[in-house]
Amino acid sequence: MSKPEVVAIGTDAGSTTCKLVAVGQGGEVLGSRLEATQPHIELQVGELLGQLRSELGVDGPVPCVATGYGRKLVKDATRSVTEITCHARGVFRDLGHGGTLVDIGGQDSKVIRLGNNGKPVDFMMNDKCAAGTGRFLEYTSARLGVPIDELGRRALSTDREEPITSTCTVFAESEIISLLARGVALEAILRGLHRALVGRIVAMVHNVGLTPPLMLSGGVAHNEAVRALIEEATGERVLLPREPQLMGAYGAALLGTEGKSAA
Amino acid sequence: MPIADRLTARKAIIERVRGLGRKVVAVLPFHYPRALLRAYRLHPIEVWGPPNVPRDKGSQHFQAYTCDIVLKATSFLLRGGMDPVDAILVPHTCDALQGMASVTADFLKPRQPVLTLYLPRGCRDSDRAFLIAELRRLAGCCAEISGHKPNEADWAEAFAAEEAADRALASLYQRRPRLALSDRDFYTAVRSREFLTAEDFGELAASLPEGDPPADGVGLMLSGIVAEPLELFDRINEMGAHVVADDLACGYRRVYPPAAESDPFARIAAQLLACPPDPTRGSPIEQRVAALRSRMRESGAQGLLIYDVKFCEPELFDIPLLRKHLAAAGLPVLHVEFEMGMTVSRQVLTRIEAFVETLQ
Repeated sequence: MSKPEVVAIGTDAGSTTCKLVAVGQGGEVLGSRLEATQPHIELQVGELLGQLRSELGVDGPVPCVATGYGRKLVKDATRSVTEITCHARGVFRDLGHGGTLVDIGGQDSKVIRLGNNGKPVDFMMNDKCAAGTGRFLEYTSARLGVPIDELGRRALSTDREEPITSTCTVFAESEIISLLARGVALEAILRGLHRALVGRIVAMVHNVGLTPPLMLSGGVAHNEAVRALIEEATGERVLLPREPQLMGAYGAALLGTEGKSAA
Repeated sequence: MPIADRLTARKAIIERVRGLGRKVVAVLPFHYPRALLRAYRLHPIEVWGPPNVPRDKGSQHFQAYTCDIVLKATSFLLRGGMDPVDAILVPHTCDALQGMASVTADFLKPRQPVLTLYLPRGCRDSDRAFLIAELRRLAGCCAEISGHKPNEADWAEAFAAEEAADRALASLYQRRPRLALSDRDFYTAVRSREFLTAEDFGELAASLPEGDPPADGVGLMLSGIVAEPLELFDRINEMGAHVVADDLACGYRRVYPPAAESDPFARIAAQLLACPPDPTRGSPIEQRVAALRSRMRESGAQGLLIYDVKFCEPELFDIPLLRKHLAAAGLPVLHVEFEMGMTVSRQVLTRIEAFVETLQ
């Protein structure tokens, strides 16, 4: 049986991770790459692209759509599109309906209201401050010495919660140090930190207007405490696509298939 | 040739108007009586920042949440940027500018007199009477600076010149769809009214070529105080969009209609009060929404980009209601805040680009 043909490749050059997704004629994912973003993003994307093309046997030119904060640096891109449109397209394709999409990335977070056709109707971004983004969790996980993929589980392991009142990541760190010095349990601090992050996200959700269902994409979607606390704050169940972290690159790849049958 | 290359530098203009027997006034944004200044032999050069001036010296005198226009204008003053002018006029556009006028006059004490103009927040008879009294008070200050008291002929000449320039500005906006100008060139021409004489502005406006506009794609309407830096227009064009109309304080909000009152102060007051609605004059939200809807429909704008200088309170107060009413009318709105500088931040551009993508 011959290998399925790669019709387009999407590249999401994010601030924390760099993602690539290759899709076939029907929009199915044929291959992907994900690794931590390096300083020379243009070289990194070029290398990952070469690996993916080689793995999937892509010899000729295929459309390559770039998204993410480094999208303008991707030399092989045939087109660049913002993360908002790409995440919307990817999640709509994966889950099959409109609603309210929350994308929490490493450097910014977005709330996107999707129409029934999958197009963004309205959106809001927090990109001025690390609070409310994955960076907030990364920063505090490093300070507390808890691996990032354990943060959510540890936060949910207790009913106690220590409120974090600082809205700034840097000041929150000082507050954590004070709480630890007072002997407050680590899990209670973690739960409070997640609550603070979710508070910012939910405020954005209400600003855009919550149209159910609520969906979550981006790397932070893997954090079970974020999901649980968003559900608690909004009263809505949170739906996840199959690969939340790849949705930007997947959406970019789908946009690359426009004019062909997949999109 | 880009319009910017055709414009006379401000320094040369100052020398030229001095040769005509006029003194020069630095004017902060944005409603003020041009005909009055001219009748009193004064020439305005407006100060909107400027964007390339560091905030440092201004930041020493104001709270951290003061807008860049005030911070940078104060820095500009303290760095000697206003040394060539004979007076500084600060209209009461907002509390931040009123604060700047007080701080400048009471604490910074520049060698030039600092003039104020308190603008009313409504269009009632009492507002009109208040504005007329304010204009008379300002006229007294102007007479002290220039040493000239205008006669009837001076007033007639001043109204003829400034109203002709107002008509030229209105005509520029009417001709916008037919002008073979990029967005950057169009707004460079519009904003040259901030420092050119009325005659030079009229001549420039009349000389602008008609033909196929170079920009195409999604039509946007721009709202806010000032669209800085001008690079913004290039970036918008690169995104596949262009600016088809505006509700900018440095633009359409100063399209003043003519008035017929015989008393010069009443005539200026009538003009200032009859310009398009804006939040700094306390225009009711219904009037703003109606005006924006109507202009968006006429110009074919597909979305409204509210581009606000950070911490601009008068503009921010209206945002939730503008969003609500325009969304109800099916008109998409994007609100972004920017810090005034020589480049547009990546985050701001990403938001605008995403907005354009939703409209494509």
